[in-house]
Amino acid sequence: MIEIDHVSQVFRTSGRQEHLALSDISLTIEDGAFVSILGPSGCGKSTLLYIVGGFVNPTGGVAKVKGRPITGPGPDRGPVFQEFALFPWKSVLGNVMYGPRQQGVKRGDAEAQSRALIEMVGLKGFEHFYPKELSGGMKQRVALARTLAYHPAVLLMDEPFGALDAHTRTRLQNDLLNIWERDRKTVLFVTHSVEEAVFLSDKIVVMTRSPGRIKQIVDIGLPRPRRRAELLLDPRYQKYVVDIEGMIDDTSEDELHP
Amino acid sequence: MNARAVTTDVLLGMVPIALLIGLWQAIASFGYAPVALLPPPGAVFMRLAQQLATTAFQQEIGATLFRLFAGFSIAVILGVGIGLAAAASSAVNAVVRPLVRVLAPLPKVALYPALLLLLGFGHESKIILVAADALFPILLSTYYGASTVEQKLIWSAMAAGTPRRQILFKVVLPAAVPSILTGCRIGLVISCIVVFLAEMIASTDGLGHLLVAAARTFQAVDMFVPLITISLLGLVLNGLLQAVRSYLLRGFPEV
Amino acid sequence: MMSMRTLVTRSGPLLACLGLLGIWQIAALILNTDSFPTAMDAIRAIPSILGDKESLINILASLRRMAIGFSLAVMLSIPLGLTMGRSRGVASFFNPLLMVIYPVPKAALMPIIMLWLGVGDVSKTLVIFLGVSLPVIYHSIQGAKAVEEKMLWSGAAMGLSAAQRMIRIVLPAALPEILTGCRTGLVLALITMITSEMIARQSGAGNILFNALDMGQYDTVYAMIIIIGAMGIGLDAAFEKLRAQLVNWSEPRFDLPLSFS
Repeated sequence: MIEIDHVSQVFRTSGRQEHLALSDISLTIEDGAFVSILGPSGCGKSTLLYIVGGFVNPTGGVAKVKGRPITGPGPDRGPVFQEFALFPWKSVLGNVMYGPRQQGVKRGDAEAQSRALIEMVGLKGFEHFYPKELSGGMKQRVALARTLAYHPAVLLMDEPFGALDAHTRTRLQNDLLNIWERDRKTVLFVTHSVEEAVFLSDKIVVMTRSPGRIKQIVDIGLPRPRRRAELLLDPRYQKYVVDIEGMIDDTSEDELHP
Repeated sequence: MNARAVTTDVLLGMVPIALLIGLWQAIASFGYAPVALLPPPGAVFMRLAQQLATTAFQQEIGATLFRLFAGFSIAVILGVGIGLAAAASSAVNAVVRPLVRVLAPLPKVALYPALLLLLGFGHESKIILVAADALFPILLSTYYGASTVEQKLIWSAMAAGTPRRQILFKVVLPAAVPSILTGCRIGLVISCIVVFLAEMIASTDGLGHLLVAAARTFQAVDMFVPLITISLLGLVLNGLLQAVRSYLLRGFPEV
Repeated sequence: MMSMRTLVTRSGPLLACLGLLGIWQIAALILNTDSFPTAMDAIRAIPSILGDKESLINILASLRRMAIGFSLAVMLSIPLGLTMGRSRGVASFFNPLLMVIYPVPKAALMPIIMLWLGVGDVSKTLVIFLGVSLPVIYHSIQGAKAVEEKMLWSGAAMGLSAAQRMIRIVLPAALPEILTGCRTGLVLALITMITSEMIARQSGAGNILFNALDMGQYDTVYAMIIIIGAMGIGLDAAFEKLRAQLVNWSEPRFDLPLSFS
């Protein structure tokens, strides 16, 4: 469904210098797959996500969704950012209702749908709170609800749990999987945590450091639904983590031994 | 929660005033200054209370307030409008930027004689002067707020289906409100000061005029009354603006 | 060889000036009243003002008062502000006083100060002094507060006394912020000077303005406006250059609400 065709990205820095962030990325992502993009800092994984989201136009190659080239953002590809990016002037309910209202849904229906979603992400009772009154984990739940509210076919998640403490992180990983199981949207999930990627995904795209290339694509053959407690003790899970960490280490080695 | 914040602001605002009055009373009581030059606060406040009861004084306050509000409102409308436009369009920016760089350091009060010539000694000249002085802080803070909106907010709105042309009003403007209100606060203080000064320089009515009229007849008490009045007005207006600010920014994290 | 882009950016302000003068010229021609001479008429009146001994003395008197008021204010306010920024005791002592003086329009104090000190230079310089002090103190406090503790600890470890640390670490580190305050102060000095001269008419540029107004010499009025405007722009530009030289090591800061920097 998502085709990334020889995409490359060059950034111009202020000193008129050019920085190659992504180099010749080609990738196909099937409908309903949970795919993680994994790599060290600066490997361009977020840039790749932004290209699929239509927030950044690739300087080379083309990205397509459902066969049509991506020219800009749209409600078929909903983002969830690490910084939450909630509208501070709107309440939780206001934030979640934003998407449906944009789509022309009537106020009453939009409110009902939003309340249901807010309950689903576990924030019933907080509808009239403002973002500044919420913890990081709660904000991210609102961000997720807000994106789900306009029913995107694809979820684009940019290190969504990176700003949260470890405990909240694992809780939200579980909750994310539970929510995802319901309608199995396509998910593109950027992270630098190997364990997180293995736990959540069907497929992991391992990237090299800058300029980012695809080093390897790993299929994760672990059964679903995935329970953290079981998985942590599962030797298959452990092997995946060790192998992939090894791949990333190789990548980083280049820095010390050019 | 809201009422408490407002009350705290009001109380905090009272402290410097109380201190000033205390200092004033101290100087007067200890005889450091002759009564003709520095009347005791009691005398001034009594006179103020007397004056407030008269329609003549109320009309003077009315004239000053009218000019203040009119000028400030013009400054807000123009400042926010131009600031947003300059942040949204590089063409507008290219025109506005050099104009602001040239006009901002210019003491607008120097234009006052021209305004008097063109518009007379009445309300208009003062309103325009107030607007000209209050405009720039509001414009600049609007521009700053609008051009530093978090990119991801805009992206989130676009992904949710907001067309490009609506982004300015649905995302940029609300996100810039904290900055705009800071500029408005400065603009309000400037408006209070400028309207008073303009009335002192050339006017037939208003609080500033009352001060110079009293100065000509060496009536110290009558000089202090309008000065205290404008300061009190400024405080009250500022307090109101703060209340509006607290309400509008109830969702924003404290800066 | 300058690129087209730099050329356009650099000439922006100049173009803006010319544009404004152009609009003025056209508007005056359209309105065609005595009280609104054209830009050309006003510009033509400038040399006669600058050539007139009386006027020149007035203008120089203005500048002199401004310079004295400004310098005194800066010399006293920077040390005061820096000390207040680093010492809670000093801050608590002066804070209430400053909070009280801040909202009062200094130029409005002119009649009262004139009552006490007469109509001469002293009262005008005093008002300028007060007007400039506050922003400089405020920004000095902010600048001093922002100096990282660790820098001071390093200084202490190197054997610097408190006074030395103040002069050799706090002052340079706070300099960008202090200069922002000085810039605000400079703008206020000019405004306060003109305004006080308009209120207490005795000498100075503001005085020339109102004299010309009273005598119906409209060309002179507008010419003085241009001269004062030029003074404002010139002082601001000169200060900006100086500031850039002194603190070219610091990150660019946004000057709110003075101008696009």
